[in-house]
Amino acid sequence: MGMREENAVEVHDIKKCFKVYADHAGQLKERILFWKRNRYEERKVLDGISFEVKKGEAVGLIGQNGCGKSTTLKLLTKIIYPDSGTIQMNGRVSSLIELGAGFHPDMSGRENIYTNAAIFGLTKKEIDARLDDIIAFSELEEFIDNPVRTYSSGMYMRLAFAVAINVDADILLIDEILAVGDAAFQAKCFNRMREIKASGTTIILVSHSLGQIEQLCDRSIWIHEGKIKMEGIPRDVHPHYMDHMAEMTERAAEKRRQEEARKAEGNAAEEQKNEAKEEKAEQPAEVKENPQRYGNRKAEITSISLNRPDKQDCHTLHSGEDAEIVIRYKAHETVQKAAFGIGIFRNDGVHCYGTNTVIDQLEDFDLEGSGSMTVRISKLPLLQGSYSMDIAIECDQGIPVDYYKNAIQFEVTSRLSEAGVMRVEHTWELEKQNG
Amino acid sequence: MIKLFKDIYDYREMVFSLVRRDLRGRYKGTILGFLWTFINPLLQLVVYTLVFSNVLRMGIEKYYIFLFVALIPWIFFSGTITGGCEVILGASNMVKKIYFPREVLPLAYTISSFVNMLFSFIVVFAVLLFSGYGVDPMALLYLPVIMIIEFVLALGMALLFSALTVYLRDLQHILGILMLAWQFLTPIMYSEDMVPEKYMGIWRLNPMTSVITAYRDILYNKQPPHINTLAEAAILGVVLLVIGEVVFRLLQRNFAEEL
Repeated sequence: MGMREENAVEVHDIKKCFKVYADHAGQLKERILFWKRNRYEERKVLDGISFEVKKGEAVGLIGQNGCGKSTTLKLLTKIIYPDSGTIQMNGRVSSLIELGAGFHPDMSGRENIYTNAAIFGLTKKEIDARLDDIIAFSELEEFIDNPVRTYSSGMYMRLAFAVAINVDADILLIDEILAVGDAAFQAKCFNRMREIKASGTTIILVSHSLGQIEQLCDRSIWIHEGKIKMEGIPRDVHPHYMDHMAEMTERAAEKRRQEEARKAEGNAAEEQKNEAKEEKAEQPAEVKENPQRYGNRKAEITSISLNRPDKQDCHTLHSGEDAEIVIRYKAHETVQKAAFGIGIFRNDGVHCYGTNTVIDQLEDFDLEGSGSMTVRISKLPLLQGSYSMDIAIECDQGIPVDYYKNAIQFEVTSRLSEAGVMRVEHTWELEKQNG
Repeated sequence: MIKLFKDIYDYREMVFSLVRRDLRGRYKGTILGFLWTFINPLLQLVVYTLVFSNVLRMGIEKYYIFLFVALIPWIFFSGTITGGCEVILGASNMVKKIYFPREVLPLAYTISSFVNMLFSFIVVFAVLLFSGYGVDPMALLYLPVIMIIEFVLALGMALLFSALTVYLRDLQHILGILMLAWQFLTPIMYSEDMVPEKYMGIWRLNPMTSVITAYRDILYNKQPPHINTLAEAAILGVVLLVIGEVVFRLLQRNFAEEL
C-alpha cells in the first residue's frame, strides 16, 4: 500500500487494547498454574483512529488524560504496535518522548552526548558535526567534561533536550516535554521548535498547553475516548475542547456539591431533631445554616446563581467573557438604606476584588418583600483558577444584615496562558529607530 | 529483510557505543581492570590442568591444550546465552520509551562477548607458542571462518533467549543448568571419538559439536578442519540465526507492554 507523495504520516483505522493484568504472570509457576486463566482486563485505548499529516505540517494532539493521545504517539514511534490498522511514515523519525535515554552517570557530558545521540540513530560522523551545536544549546560548555552525576537535574535535562532537539529528523514526535528547565530555557526550546518547523520538519506534538499548540501547530486533533472527536485549525477546535473540559469539571463539581449537600442535610436533620422546632422552617432550602454567615437577618439571601451568555446557573466562567451574578433575597422586615456587596477570592486566599453598591454610588434603596439583585460583569478579567465569592447585604453604613462568606464557588477557564491575578487590557506597539 | 539490515546499519553507532560501554564497564572498579580479560582464562587453564593432569587423567596428549582451545570458544558461546538472555529486560527503560531496532541489544552483547573471546585468544596463542606446541599457519587460515560461524550461532541463540526471557523470566535461572548440561553434551572435555557410536546422531544435532571440533582441528590437531564439519556448523548456525530472528521479530511487538 503506497503513501501519497505529499504525506509524511498516514494512520489508518488503528485500534489498540491494553491488557491490564491483575498481577504479572511472568514466572513459570504462575504461567503453568494459571495457564487457562491469566487474569487480565482488556482496556480499549484506541478505537479506530485515522489521520494524515502532510510533509512540513505541525499537528497537535489534545485530549483529557487517558484519552489515548500518548498511546497514539507511542504507536507512531513504534514502541508498541496496533492490534489492527496501519501506520505508514515517510522519512526519518525522531521521538522526544524520553529525554536522556541511556545517560550514564559516570560518563562525562560529552560522552553521554555520543551515547544518547547514537540511540536516536545518529552515526559518529553526524554526531561529530552536531557536537558544538549541542553543547552550545545546552549552555554547559564549562561542565561538559564532568561526569553527568555531578549535574543538577536542570543541567541534566538541558543536556538531554539539547541532544534530542539537534537530531535532524523528517518527522519529530514530541510528548509534553517543552516544560524543561527555567523560563528562559523553555523559551529557547520553543523558539528552536519553531525553527525546526520552519525548516520543513513534520511535527506531531502532544501537549496540555493549548497556547503552545496554537502557536506552533497548523492543526489540532482532539482525541476523546479513543476516537477523534474533532480536528481542524487549533483556534477552531480548542474552544469546543475547552467547553467540553469545563463541562466535565462542572459535572464533577456538581457531583461533589450534591454529595456535600447530602451530608449537610443529614447533619441538619439531626440538629433539627435535637434542637426542637424553632423558626428554622423559615429558612430557604437553597441557603443552609452556616457558621460562615452572620448578620441581623432582617433580610436574607435565598439563592445565588452564576450565569454566562450560553448557560444559566453554572459554576464555570470563561475568562474574557461576560458573566452575571444573580442574588435573590427575601426581606422579613423593611431594611432601610440597604447595600449589596461582593468579594471575590482566589482559592489560595488572594482577595481579587471587592465592591458594594455604596462604593459604586448607587442611589439608596430599601428592601421589602423579595426580589433579586443582578451584578453584570463584562469581559471577566479573572484568569484561570478556582475562586469563591462572599456576598453580603448590609444596612446603614455597614451593619451586616446577611453576610455570607464563601457563598459560592466557581472555576474560571481561559484559552490563553497569561499569568497573574487578572487581565490588564493592553496593546503592544513596536517602534524601531534606524541608525 | 533488507529493511531490517538497513535499520540496524543505521543504528550502528548505537551498537558500537553499547559494545564500548559493555567492555569498559565489565571490569569497572576492579584493581586489575582490563587485565582480568587475560587473567581469567589463564587461571581457568591452571585449574583445569591441575585437575585433569593429576586427578582425572584422560590419557590425552597435552590435555591442557586440548581442553583450552575448546574451552575458550565455549565460554564465549555459553556466556553470550546466559548473559544475553537478560539484555532486553535490563534495558527495559529504553525499550519502553524509545524506538530503536530491538535487535541492537542482543547484537551488541554478542559482539562484546566476541571481542572478549578475541582477547582471550591472545592468551591461547601465548600458551601455544610458549609451550612449544606451535601452530600451523595453513590451518590458522580457517580460524576466522569458524569464529564467524560461531558468532552467527551465538547471535541466533542470544536473539532467541533474550526475547523469550521477557515473557518467561524463569529462563534466566533455567539457562544456567541448561548450559551446564549442554557443556557436557559437547565434546569439550573429551574428544568426539569417545562418544559411543549409537549416540553419535544426537551429538551431530548439537551445533556446538562441529564448532568445537573445528576449533580443535585447527589449533590442537594443527590441520584444516574437514569441509563437512565446517559446512555442518555453517548450516546449523544460519538456520538457528533465522529461527532466532523470526522468533525475536514475533515477540518484540509486545516487549514494551510486557516489561
